[in-house]
Amino acid sequence: MTVEEIRGSVGVSNEIDRFPIGMRVLAVDDDPTCLKLLDGLLRKCQYQVTTTNQAITALKMLRENRNRFDLVISDVHMPDMDGFKLLELVGLEMDLPVIMLSGNSDPKLVMKGITHGACDYLVKPVRLEELRNIWQHVIRRKVESKSQSKSNNQEKPNQGGEGGQEAGSGDPNGKLNRKRKDEDEDVEDNGNEDDDPSSQKKPRVVWSIDLHRKFVAAVNQLGIEKAVPKRILDLMNVEGLTRENVASHLQKYRLYLKRISQQANMVVAFGGSKDASSYMRMSSLDGLGDFRTLSGSGRLPNAALSSYSPSGMLGRLNSATGVTLHSLTSPSMIQPTHPQNLTNSIGSLTKFQPVVLPTPPNHQNTNLFQGIPSSFDLGHLHQNGNKPNTTQIPDFNPIDESRIFTGPSSFATLGSQSSLKMASMSSESFNLVSSSSSYLDVPPPMGENFHDQLPPNSSLKYGYSASSNTIPSFGSNITSTASVPLEAQGQRHGQYGKPSYSPYSNNAFSTLAAAAAAPPPNGGGLGGPVSQANDQICGVYNRSNGNGATAMQRSSRETERSSTELKMGSGEEYLLEQTKLPSGFVANNGYDSLDDLMNGMMKREQDPTIMMDGEFGFDPYSFGSCIQ
Amino acid sequence: MERNQMQMHRQIATIRKSLFDQGYLDEQFVQLEELQDNSNPNFVEEVVTLFYRDSARFLYNLDQALEKRPLDFSRLDSLMHQFKGSSSSIGAKKVKIECTHFRDYCNARNTEGCKRTFQHVKKEYTTLKKKLEAYFQMSRQAGPIETACRPR
Repeated sequence: MTVEEIRGSVGVSNEIDRFPIGMRVLAVDDDPTCLKLLDGLLRKCQYQVTTTNQAITALKMLRENRNRFDLVISDVHMPDMDGFKLLELVGLEMDLPVIMLSGNSDPKLVMKGITHGACDYLVKPVRLEELRNIWQHVIRRKVESKSQSKSNNQEKPNQGGEGGQEAGSGDPNGKLNRKRKDEDEDVEDNGNEDDDPSSQKKPRVVWSIDLHRKFVAAVNQLGIEKAVPKRILDLMNVEGLTRENVASHLQKYRLYLKRISQQANMVVAFGGSKDASSYMRMSSLDGLGDFRTLSGSGRLPNAALSSYSPSGMLGRLNSATGVTLHSLTSPSMIQPTHPQNLTNSIGSLTKFQPVVLPTPPNHQNTNLFQGIPSSFDLGHLHQNGNKPNTTQIPDFNPIDESRIFTGPSSFATLGSQSSLKMASMSSESFNLVSSSSSYLDVPPPMGENFHDQLPPNSSLKYGYSASSNTIPSFGSNITSTASVPLEAQGQRHGQYGKPSYSPYSNNAFSTLAAAAAAPPPNGGGLGGPVSQANDQICGVYNRSNGNGATAMQRSSRETERSSTELKMGSGEEYLLEQTKLPSGFVANNGYDSLDDLMNGMMKREQDPTIMMDGEFGFDPYSFGSCIQ
Repeated sequence: MERNQMQMHRQIATIRKSLFDQGYLDEQFVQLEELQDNSNPNFVEEVVTLFYRDSARFLYNLDQALEKRPLDFSRLDSLMHQFKGSSSSIGAKKVKIECTHFRDYCNARNTEGCKRTFQHVKKEYTTLKKKLEAYFQMSRQAGPIETACRPR
């Protein structure tokens, strides 16, 4: 790739030849003094600067037009959204380099920035010399992207692509160099765009919730191990989508899963949670956790759920889990606060999840929760080996998954427990209220893990209403209290003990969610309890929350997972007990950002695309049916 | 006239130097000044004005928070962290130092220490604000340096 090519791929409207002059930067900081200073400094470097003091506004701008900016600089400490969450969202959705800014030089924060994908971390007060060099991050991504795409193009289809991606990202199963993966993934996207000789800048593929759901479904169907871009692409059957797009997205998904699993590992403290996989799920769920926030301060589940029809719910559940992932991937879809959005977000969340979770070896059901994108979840769940009972949601090992979903951290512990819970759920007669979003009553936030990350508003309520429909097999594991109320609003509702929120009848999810471990509803705080069985449950819940609302609530991804896993479609309501799952965000600590993102997304605006009617994202994951 | 202007400028320069020497301002302020140019003629003053406005809000919130019993240290710390961030952005050296002391007391959960240092923070802030206001006012009166140095 030549320099000209690189330059050419940089902002079209800029003086490309004079890059970095004219590089388009978006600066986000809630402190007006610092923002103005930043603005002045960046202008001095001759960049094109756009400023905003709200993360939500920033996301909106970015989503409106991904090609509008080359680089994002964001403060860590912001009132409306945690800087790390913004960072994650931007990285996932837009693949743009993000630089973190903080008055705090604590190495832990710096580390956090790195794990969330920041390409740099600056300490206030920022100096001119530091800003003069930030353009390197933009170039680096383009270079990597180009080389990545080149290698991909040269490879044979499927295998080649896979190999390339895998190589780039390291083996999906193994620990990839996350940074590299991030870069690779970013590069992938960019590469895909840049590689097309006919157009200098290909439009970015928007991974909407639907799309992500399909993706997750396809991945689940193939099995995370075997999921190669070409086959995923074929399964997805989406016009206009290229293998490269899928490959790049897959890379991100894997990265996400890995990250979740890492987090899960960290959180394993909970009790042998199921290792990373559950964690991953959780994370993914958590990511959805953001959805929680999306659901809008908690209201969502109920509100949104009601809109879901029972049947839809199941689907939702599935999708819920997937949603989480999805939301992560397609934040735009998430409509904040709008109950419907929840579903969407959840769907997105779920989407996310599946993506995140690498299919565990024993991942048996590809469809994790009935088509819940949770494929990842399920896979993970199984990994844990704990296969919680049952969650036999149509070939879904809900428990396992749920564990995973419960959010990496908190779920971990929950994992085992969640599985139990899930099992219990299944045995219980869940009244999956189709419309009631089962909020998983999440036990008071479990882990501390979850909370710190989640912004206050992110508390999603996990209202997994174990909609009966979805959780068929859940019974076994998810006996958990399906009602994990996810408080979208960041409130840690630790106590949701209410089983089966009616709004989310996701039924399946509820149970799952419950089983999954009541992921802490609040985005972060809840994590604690969730870890336990929450993982699974949460995962389940999250998923089942297809109700959108629930999903949102799940912000703590966990719920998603559980819900999906719960797939308890059997119409029983899973009252997932929250065994501890703090409904909300299952502590995916790391994933708080995801959650927040989701939340942010949800809050953001009601995305018309998200249709809460249940079909948001969840549809694809109809229970029982494998992902499409 | 010219001479007066030159004198004024010299005076301003002296004041400015003393602000640095006495530790009220640090290098960051110089950065602000460097950003001021023809396209941004009042940059420094604009930023400082924003800082005053922000600070008023922070100080008020901190005051309120310090009234509560028991003290919510984490909230205090968080508020002060933000205030410290903006102070350091404009180069308010002494203010920043006092903020750090405050945060240390917060971390030690020392109520008395917090309240005491907060008074210091306020004092330093007020002093700096007065000095800067006088400084900017003089600068405005003196007019741009070019005018003063324009050969007749």
